[in-house]
Amino acid sequence: MQTKGDGAGGAYNGFGADWTPTNLTETEAKRATGWVEARIDKRFLLTGKDRKEDVRDIMWQLEKDGEIVVHRVADHHAPELAKTLYGWDKKIPTTNLWHHKSCGQCGNIPGYPSSVLWIMNQLGLDYLDETDQTSCTAWNYHGSGIGNVVSLAAVFLRNMHQAYVSAKAHGLPVGTYYPLIHCGTSFGNYKEIRGFLLHSAELRAEVKKILGKLGRLVDGKLLIPEEIVHYSEWLHMMRHRIAARQTIDVSAVRATVHPACHVYKMVPEDVIYDDTVLNGDRVAVTTGLLQTLGAQVIDYSTWYDCCGFGFRHIIGEREFTRSFAIDRKIKVAVEEARSDVMIGHDTGCITTLDKNQWIGRAVGKVYALPVMADCQFAALTMGAHPYKLAQLHWHASPFEELLEKMGIDWEQAKAEFVAYLDEVKAGRIETLYDPRRAITSGPGYVKPPKTLQGA
Amino acid sequence: MTAHAKLPTPPIADPVSDRAPVPQEALEAIFDDIRKHPLYDHEIHGCLNCGICTATCPSAQYYDYSPREIVQLLWTENLEGIYDAMQEKIWACAQCYTCAARCPFENSPGGLVMILREVAIKHELPSVKEVLRPFSRVLLKVVTTGNQLAPNMITRDAFPDWGPNVTKVDAPLMVLRKAIPMPTMHTLDTAWEVNLRTSVELYTIWEATGVLKQLATVDANLFDVVSDVMDEKRDEWEEWLEDNQDEDGDTDD
Ligand code: SF4
Ligand code: SF4
Repeated sequence: MQTKGDGAGGAYNGFGADWTPTNLTETEAKRATGWVEARIDKRFLLTGKDRKEDVRDIMWQLEKDGEIVVHRVADHHAPELAKTLYGWDKKIPTTNLWHHKSCGQCGNIPGYPSSVLWIMNQLGLDYLDETDQTSCTAWNYHGSGIGNVVSLAAVFLRNMHQAYVSAKAHGLPVGTYYPLIHCGTSFGNYKEIRGFLLHSAELRAEVKKILGKLGRLVDGKLLIPEEIVHYSEWLHMMRHRIAARQTIDVSAVRATVHPACHVYKMVPEDVIYDDTVLNGDRVAVTTGLLQTLGAQVIDYSTWYDCCGFGFRHIIGEREFTRSFAIDRKIKVAVEEARSDVMIGHDTGCITTLDKNQWIGRAVGKVYALPVMADCQFAALTMGAHPYKLAQLHWHASPFEELLEKMGIDWEQAKAEFVAYLDEVKAGRIETLYDPRRAITSGPGYVKPPKTLQGA
Repeated sequence: MTAHAKLPTPPIADPVSDRAPVPQEALEAIFDDIRKHPLYDHEIHGCLNCGICTATCPSAQYYDYSPREIVQLLWTENLEGIYDAMQEKIWACAQCYTCAARCPFENSPGGLVMILREVAIKHELPSVKEVLRPFSRVLLKVVTTGNQLAPNMITRDAFPDWGPNVTKVDAPLMVLRKAIPMPTMHTLDTAWEVNLRTSVELYTIWEATGVLKQLATVDANLFDVVSDVMDEKRDEWEEWLEDNQDEDGDTDD
């Protein structure tokens, strides 16, 4: 929409060298954007297309033809059904999950994965967090162009195979654990690559050669997971169980949601929409959780925009990243939505939106909006420790006021955490699970007793 | 689809630059690699020139960049224009795929940009080294460990614009890491502890898929460092395997 001051030259100088402003009157501009908004809010541009093939049909056929093995979401994963964009069913496993960690989360926002695991502990669900995992390597690919569809596919299927066989290390049958993908980019990338693999016999043959060398085939075939599942989808299915354990009232909290591009714009037909969440107009995860927890979810005009991460921009062209993050997301969330907190569900977005506020001061754009992941917020409402568990001290944006609004004494919590650091220095470390479970082969691995092997 | 082959073959040069003209054959070789890319037909199906992609593109707001223009250049097989866009413009894309979600033709301009980036690397276009220089730390990390980011990469010095609160509790980094309740994350050099076998398997993937070759093209020094690390870890793994053959001849995996 045209805004005041958008004269010749416009607010931005992009759109290619031959771009000129439209000089629409305010009424004309409103009419034009109104038309677009009406359709966008109705998912029109996605559902209005003559779509769409469900790649899972190809997958079942290939399995029938003896070409691949499908890692099923089985009864012991206690699956629950969700509806995706076109009303198809997606099976979300709820227990016996293999954590496919995110390098950006673990390196930079550690309270993100620890909140997911803690919630699983609270709900009595089983999982494995282990060291035999690489990242998806897609951040690197999207940022640099180093890598290719074959390398991405091989990395994907190697990790998926490890998820499948991991339980053997503890004397349990293969297929016990089902992969749960923490990172939005891994999730989007794996879905895209799964589609390419299912469509291309040539790609399958190339990847099969590599995985054969690694000993990562099942009965001489590629193993493909039935569903690619993002943790935010798992959280969405858990939202009522989480709310049942909620101890903190968040009805006074005004939250804005930043949905992650790679979660819902990549392979959109596989994304959860729910008619009870914003009329099913927008992706249901995170918003559905916040509403169930009783927070006020405030809509804002740049909801569809990305965060500015850019993959290479966050590293090599940060002027773009921080300008976009501040101008298109943070400023709007604060000034338009009067938001107390921005909640996301992906690694790069949380990092970008959280870390890039401080520099705004240099140009008089002073904002202080807390940014965290949906799982961290959910854990807090269940009484998780803001420092020991939600690890909020790694966040650059100020969260203290938000905690006060939620009735959490952050000063006391911080003092407890500082005291805990002395315990850590003395080697008395609290963990969410037995550390010995994390190593499933190689140095440090302890075999289970013979009686438990052979599965 | 082969209209470009019938064109006369004048050398392509920028009249206000001293750069050597680019021969037509070079432009054709580049375009051939683009359209032979296994995903090319998946990412482009025609173009209405409607501009919806550009209207929703974050990078178009801040750069002289337009996904519509990229798609048009490819669709009309404008070899000179493609070559020109590959110098700099393709690196403006933020890879958000908003364009792909919106395009009525189900094109993926973001996906096409990735093809162009891969081909730019293969053809060693002059801009590539320049653009990827700041990325070398991440490349080293991801190729040698399978993690792209490590806690000790996030320092106040590396990210001065993130301000003073990289962490809000002052303690040695390793103590803070050990205070994370996930044992896999008590690390500094990688985001989580990576199993030795995992890294070694990853090296096989890099070799078999031409990624190391790409790396050598972009940064020969980095390639040397990576090769040394790979050799070391492979030796370490072999030694461990030798030491740990159990009575049954099995190893522990
Ligand atoms: S949205 Fe699609 S059809 Fe329209 S200009 Fe962009 S690529 Fe072409
Ligand atoms: S993927 Fe690239 S071209 Fe497409 S909208 Fe995002 S930044 Fe623009």
